[in-house]
Amino acid sequence: MSRAPARLDLLTVAPRPAGDEDEEQFKPLEWGLIRRLIGFTRPQRRKFWIMVALSAVRAIQLPAIVWAMGAIIAGPAARHDLHALAWWLAGYAALAISTDFLFHFRQRYALELGEYAVNALRAAIFTHLQRMPMSFFHRVKLGRIISRVTSDVEAVRVGIQDVFFVSVIQAGQMVFAAVAMLFCDWSLFLVVLAMAPVIWTVNRRFRSELSRLSRASQESFSRVTATLAESVGGIRVTQGFVRQATNAGLFRSLLSDHARYNVALARTSAILLPILELNSQFFIAVLLLLGGWRTFHNEMEVSSLIQFFFLANLFFSPIAVIGNQYNQALIAMAGAERIFRMLDTKPDWEDAPDASDLPGPPPAPAPAGGMCIEFRQVTFGYDPARPVLLDIDFSARPGQMVALVGHTGSGKSSIINLAAKFYLPTLGEVRIDGREIRTLTSRSLHRQMGIVAQQNFLFSGTVLDNIRLGRPEAPEDEIRETVNRLDGLDMLAELPLGWQTEVGEGGRNLSTGQRQLVCFARALLADPRLLILDEATASIDALTEARLQRALVTLLRGRTSLVVAHRLSTIRHADLVLVLDRGRIIERGTHAALLSQQGHYAALYRQFVNVDEHRAPDRPAGPFPL
Amino acid sequence: MGPASSSTVRPPAPAEIPTNWSLMRRLFGLVWEYRGRCWQVLGLQLVLLTMGLAGLNLTGQAIDFIRHRVSGAPLPAGGFRIPFPADWPPERTLAVIASLILALALGRAVLNYVYSILINRLTQQEIVPQLRARVYDRLQRLSFRFFDANSTGSIINRVTGDVQAVRMFLDQVLIQSFIMVISLTVYIAYMASLHAGLTVACLATTPVLWIAAVRFSRLIQPAYARNRDLADIMVRNLAESVQGIAVTKGFGREAEDRAKFLRSNDAVLEQQQSIFWRVSVFSPAVGFLTRINMIVLLGYGGWLVAHDRLPLGAGLVVFAGLLEQFSGQVNNVANVVNGVQQSLIGARRVFEILDTPVEIQSRPGALRPDRFGGAVRFEGVSFAYKVHEPVLHEIDLDVAPGRCVAIVGATGAGKSALMSLIPRFYDPTAGRVLVDGVDVRELDLDNLRRNIGLVFQESFLFSHTVSANIAFGHPQATAEQIRRAATVAAAHEFIVQLPQGYDTVLGESGVTLSGGQRQRLALARAILLEPAILLLDDPTAAIDSHTEQEIFDALDRTIAGRTTFIVAHRLSTLRRADFIVVMEEGRIVQRGTHAELMQRPGPYLHAASLQLADNRELQQLAERGAVE
Repeated sequence: MSRAPARLDLLTVAPRPAGDEDEEQFKPLEWGLIRRLIGFTRPQRRKFWIMVALSAVRAIQLPAIVWAMGAIIAGPAARHDLHALAWWLAGYAALAISTDFLFHFRQRYALELGEYAVNALRAAIFTHLQRMPMSFFHRVKLGRIISRVTSDVEAVRVGIQDVFFVSVIQAGQMVFAAVAMLFCDWSLFLVVLAMAPVIWTVNRRFRSELSRLSRASQESFSRVTATLAESVGGIRVTQGFVRQATNAGLFRSLLSDHARYNVALARTSAILLPILELNSQFFIAVLLLLGGWRTFHNEMEVSSLIQFFFLANLFFSPIAVIGNQYNQALIAMAGAERIFRMLDTKPDWEDAPDASDLPGPPPAPAPAGGMCIEFRQVTFGYDPARPVLLDIDFSARPGQMVALVGHTGSGKSSIINLAAKFYLPTLGEVRIDGREIRTLTSRSLHRQMGIVAQQNFLFSGTVLDNIRLGRPEAPEDEIRETVNRLDGLDMLAELPLGWQTEVGEGGRNLSTGQRQLVCFARALLADPRLLILDEATASIDALTEARLQRALVTLLRGRTSLVVAHRLSTIRHADLVLVLDRGRIIERGTHAALLSQQGHYAALYRQFVNVDEHRAPDRPAGPFPL
Repeated sequence: MGPASSSTVRPPAPAEIPTNWSLMRRLFGLVWEYRGRCWQVLGLQLVLLTMGLAGLNLTGQAIDFIRHRVSGAPLPAGGFRIPFPADWPPERTLAVIASLILALALGRAVLNYVYSILINRLTQQEIVPQLRARVYDRLQRLSFRFFDANSTGSIINRVTGDVQAVRMFLDQVLIQSFIMVISLTVYIAYMASLHAGLTVACLATTPVLWIAAVRFSRLIQPAYARNRDLADIMVRNLAESVQGIAVTKGFGREAEDRAKFLRSNDAVLEQQQSIFWRVSVFSPAVGFLTRINMIVLLGYGGWLVAHDRLPLGAGLVVFAGLLEQFSGQVNNVANVVNGVQQSLIGARRVFEILDTPVEIQSRPGALRPDRFGGAVRFEGVSFAYKVHEPVLHEIDLDVAPGRCVAIVGATGAGKSALMSLIPRFYDPTAGRVLVDGVDVRELDLDNLRRNIGLVFQESFLFSHTVSANIAFGHPQATAEQIRRAATVAAAHEFIVQLPQGYDTVLGESGVTLSGGQRQRLALARAILLEPAILLLDDPTAAIDSHTEQEIFDALDRTIAGRTTFIVAHRLSTLRRADFIVVMEEGRIVQRGTHAELMQRPGPYLHAASLQLADNRELQQLAERGAVE
């Protein structure tokens, strides 16, 4: 309960929406799931079986030690038999040494088995994720994927490390203690047995209440952190709008809400623990009365009575422990279920089994020249029932540049998603170098393709690492030459450590211009035959903008390109401009040709350029961006 | 007007690293505020301890009594024992002892319950929320410098984890060590009263245990910290490869990406191995040391019993029970030591926030004009975020009420810095900023800010409803006021089309808006305050130029009648201004209207011509437009 919250330095995971059926906390035990989990420890099979054996041994050792202690006190010590006492002690010491020695292995192997399984699960999840097509990533939230490899995997780890082996040991201990008590005095044992279900029930009831409350407390805490994160992120707005007092009030009420759950949690466990303790005290009282009476009437040995004091505890304590483990097991099951559900999600599609590689460009020095790309009557919808592209028909010869212009939602991004084989068309064909895209392996296609995405995504690591992503084997000289071709060496030299500068989370250590340059360099280094460019919309100061435009010309030269264009200067270089509106191509041609057509394109171009001179407040918004 | 001397900015005091002792003193001071409750809690612990010992003692007495009655073993004298009348039937004596044990157990159960409630009320319901609220309050008033210097994650951790660590000082350090010291003393005293020699023999290994536990936790803590870092890296790699999946797939680099993830995944595993080894050596070793105590007890104690120097029940059995409790408390030492370390680390980070001076606040007796005219003047203003790195040099600028000034310049030219001085997000290092002829430092801060409307590059909207976001600066606004503001900002049309209209919840778990829509909401939020001055920091930056059109009309209506400062790059925006200020490296290098600046050679003309495709083509277009 007082556990420190997960570290938030690297990630702030949004709180889960309430009432999410996918996020159930408990799942009943299921043999299939358990087997599958154990399967993940298979490479460590030897350790697994050693562990099972060790648990069995420990289940005997633990009660044996306690029994031996009781036996020594009740036996040789009480009988004043020093000789026997020495022998008993030697036995006790041997037992103690062997117990603690084996405990080392029992503990280490359990920890290792859990860690290996967790490691294998994470690797499996990651590998599976990479097989998923883009549609999966558009559908599933990042937070959910992350909780699979963090909290769910952790629940499973506890399941493997603790639940199984601890339960075996504790159950064994109970059985042993029961047998020993039965051996000492069967009638007293019946009393013990009668109390067991009571303890079990009390424990179970309170435990489930406890986990319900602890979940509620976690949820209220995630509201606290989410609000806090917003307060920090929006501090400028808060101070600018003088909202400090109102926010502080809201925050206080969230805090006291959280405190309420915490106190409820504490109250429940404050009832449970004394009740469990009370039980053993209660038993001692019963033992004294009943056992005392029986010894007075010579129906029971005094030594048996003393033994009972020790053995009873041995019998009772596992009940609470197993109860906890059972709870943990249910949580682990829920985690395992979610993990396996993710692992079992079939990709919407995969490369056809008979797909073959796209032949590479002729070997240097012959110029690569670019790809031939053709859309034939392509219709496509993320949801097939609602097409976002209709009858798209165009082709680009090697080395040509196609610019896509149109509204948000007009279908520009969908076209590049299809050309990159991130999605497959619903109807029609996309052909690369004359071959239908479905007959090509994604890998061979992507290796000859480069992407500059709109957000200029960078991975954490140095600038150099990020450029190198385009071709990991490239030597540093070549990377330098690549940046030089884009005329960007001085832009990167401004960074504190030059190329070796860490780009930071989301590239925040770099300016917008530098980020874009790195993305360009990454693409140029890959030297792709097809370049897909989703032009950034963010405005940069005019000088940097002009430099990046020149770099773009260098990047596009000598390859086929498909560009979602927002800038006039980019569009003017295109060999073919496609004007899109609601999933259809409504105009096509070069910039000059389109202007002279006096159609949509020309009208909007003019509107943009003249917007100030003939400003009319109610003029409708244009259908394409410039 | 304020004297010139008041215009020197107080540089943020260099953080002095407080010593552990001074931190401890402050922590004690903090706990002292809750001393009444603390005494209650400690008193209860004392009672609980006594009752526990009494129960144990009674059990021992009962055993001796039974042995006495059955086998005629002598009833040991001395110790804490109840003189039961010898003429009682043995059943009655036993029954009394048994009910006493039961009564004690019941009492303990109740008191334990009360104790848990008390301590949790104290920590979870008082100390933690109060401290968190204090830190949060302070946080909200700190200058942006603080937020520039600290990552969001670290700030959040201070309010959450670090405050818990401070609380730990009370319940896991102070109270625990109190309990430990008292109970260890009592146990030792009790044991010694039973048999001094046996006590010494049994506790011989304790110091070893003690030292081992403390050393071990010192040794293992860094390993755990390292492990958390490795796990964070692993999760970050996963998150990034999901976020950057289009890049990875687009370049066909899945194999490299997977290798990177698997490396970080294996790094966690490998590092864990050494932790596992240490843990699995340490805990059996500790277990064994404890058992040595037991062997000594059984051997030496058994010998004493055999020679009738120690009673079996009230002696040996009780001793065994005490020893068990004792080793439990000894193991607590490591927890207390960890608790001290963690609470000191946490305290340092929490106090750092509480100690950061609020740089900017209203002067006593600050002016609160009823109505702002909106005249803004900069007089020889210089400013630096960090000492010796000035970003503004002697700016002079005079803006009459209701005028619109556009500020142009490259990244880092000082545009945002210039604007942030007006609402006093920072104070200038030299010179002064005047609003309606009054130095802003003479004005009441809240009043000043309430009269300034702000729109940032990327507007931060909160996860509330649309209405709540618009009414952010004026939560009491009526629905009618909100609607009017939204209409002026051209936001009303799209708002009513949202699933729940004005009650639609925005943000992570709600509806996401386009850039243009967000900016129009931000405009509405600013308009609702009816500010005399409007600061627009590149409000169209994150919007593509098509959507930009959507908000121009809104902008025009918003600007009308208010003094407006607007940072902009695009000509379409710049042309709206009454005059334009061009900045370079913290200085104003050109000023004039768009038309004037386009006539003069200089940075403005240069930048503008880069942006306008080329003049010839424009010419051509203008002609066509005229023909049409």
